[in-house]
Amino acid sequence: MRRGVALVTRRGKGVAVLMVVLLALPLFIQDPYIINIMIFSLLFGVLAVSWNLISGYTGIFTFGHQAFFGVGAYLSALLSMKLNLSPWLGLPLGGFAAALIGGFIGLPCLRLRAAPYIAITTLAFSEIARIICMNLVGLTRGEMGLWGIPAFPDFTLPGGLEVSFSGGNRTGYYYVLLLIFFATTGFVAWLLRSHVGLAFRAIREEQEAALSLGINSTRYRLLSFLISSFLAGIAGSFYAHYILILTPTSVFSVGVMSEIIVVVLVGGLGTFWGPVIGAFSLTLLLEYLRTFGEYRFMIYGAMLVATILFMPKGVASKIFPEKG
Amino acid sequence: MFKILLEQILNGLVLGSMYALVASGLTLIWGTMKMLNFAHGELYMVGGYILYFAFTLLGVSPFWGILLAIGIAFAVGLFLERLLLHPLMDKPGWDVSPLVVTLGVSIFLQNFALKAWGERFKSVPYFIEGTMELAGFRIAYQRILILVVTATVMVAFWMFVKRSRFGVALRATAQDREAATLLGINAHRIYMYTFGISSALAALAATMLAPIFLINPWMGISPLLKAFIVVVLGGLGSFGGAILGGFLLGTLESLSVVLLSSEWKDVVSFAVLILVLFFRPSGFFGTREW
Repeated sequence: MRRGVALVTRRGKGVAVLMVVLLALPLFIQDPYIINIMIFSLLFGVLAVSWNLISGYTGIFTFGHQAFFGVGAYLSALLSMKLNLSPWLGLPLGGFAAALIGGFIGLPCLRLRAAPYIAITTLAFSEIARIICMNLVGLTRGEMGLWGIPAFPDFTLPGGLEVSFSGGNRTGYYYVLLLIFFATTGFVAWLLRSHVGLAFRAIREEQEAALSLGINSTRYRLLSFLISSFLAGIAGSFYAHYILILTPTSVFSVGVMSEIIVVVLVGGLGTFWGPVIGAFSLTLLLEYLRTFGEYRFMIYGAMLVATILFMPKGVASKIFPEKG
Repeated sequence: MFKILLEQILNGLVLGSMYALVASGLTLIWGTMKMLNFAHGELYMVGGYILYFAFTLLGVSPFWGILLAIGIAFAVGLFLERLLLHPLMDKPGWDVSPLVVTLGVSIFLQNFALKAWGERFKSVPYFIEGTMELAGFRIAYQRILILVVTATVMVAFWMFVKRSRFGVALRATAQDREAATLLGINAHRIYMYTFGISSALAALAATMLAPIFLINPWMGISPLLKAFIVVVLGGLGSFGGAILGGFLLGTLESLSVVLLSSEWKDVVSFAVLILVLFFRPSGFFGTREW
């Protein structure tokens, strides 16, 4: 018991240090190139944490996370372009739209148990989303790409500090995403400690046993879909107002899903820190390998294979051995 | 209009026969090893490239080119199973681990092809030039060849699985691995050969379609997605289901091109897939494994 308490506080200190480092980083490094890499690490962090919630903790191995990311991105972009809605409102709206789609995709999955069937169903839905986005040329401009998406509007903090999202300065974006990242990881951590998280894991381990204990498996699995897609939708919305140009391939393609899978599996599926570690280390590694050109994706594929073969629990299990 | 419809149905059957070939390999692996192979499309792609190189580098006839592609794909399949899937079998996480490992192989092979062979699309000539006229229809000989080859291979394969010693061993392993092992069947060897045969079927489909579609690093993605639809339609693990599903999907696609438009045909196919999964997850002949 005492040991357990000590462990928690040590981990608590680690989290505090990590938070301070991430918060203070732009004070020491202003190079937009590095800030950009950090932004992509955080973005993949949010996506990976949200996908891990459904695939790692609830045990529903979905293959359609890119649909939620894409719906959030396109909805928020279109709302701000066509209806002049503030991108700040687009963030939650993108999340809610993605959650709506998530619930819709989740419904047929509720009857399925076998991983291959769920993978095929979710993949089919996300392909439908991609093709619709490609074909509605009048609205989305199809493969030509949606450009001219407005950035977040500037604002002034109470202390008189101006936060700017224009020009080459990316620090504002960094802090917005950092807040989203903290909120996501904090929320997921809280959720996993609550009875909901316990129910998720119970369903993953043994659905029948969970049912016999009075866990409404259908409701919790749907809830898992809703939360996971909501978080991915917010990430998509942020991406749209950061990168300012969207194409169906950039957000809806299976490649996005593959990258999330690599990040989570290498980091550690079903572990809390795995997706975070995976997102940071792989984004940095991918950046480092940029000089290798196309080889880097070959390395990506090989790494995924090697992880499953030699370290099926991922990197995180080596660093933070988790109980149960 | 009626004539166009008939012509499209015929085209659909040709396309469907290819879907059936690709899907039967996928369903064969599911039936015996209970896993989904995400690298199946890339084995298809490898088959296409081997045919291309057999033509350009070796200058052989289509027959030897196809045989070479099938042979190499078979060897690659054996190798992949032995090296990557065999160690994962019988370990916890087998429901997901093959999915992820084959996804890794798929990413690797796609980018390997991109790096080694370039992103330029490559074309190979038709095996037989010319078209045949039959009752007012014009059909390219290549398409007739595709139908004939598929039908022959399917029947031959069916006979092989039903009659040969290996086929009996294969079915026994698929039904009950422990009982089969007790009877002296080496299940792991069966799995290896199953993977090889499945890869060879994919490569055969690629070589037959290569003159119609072009050869490129991403050519395997679409057939794999189609094969997913087909195996679910037919019931995962069912060989007959894959063939029926393949022809049905091909026809459905061709008809939706005429009745709707080519941009939306894939939406129709995926929507049918989801409806099937919603109302009858076991497909035509599937078992209760969903």
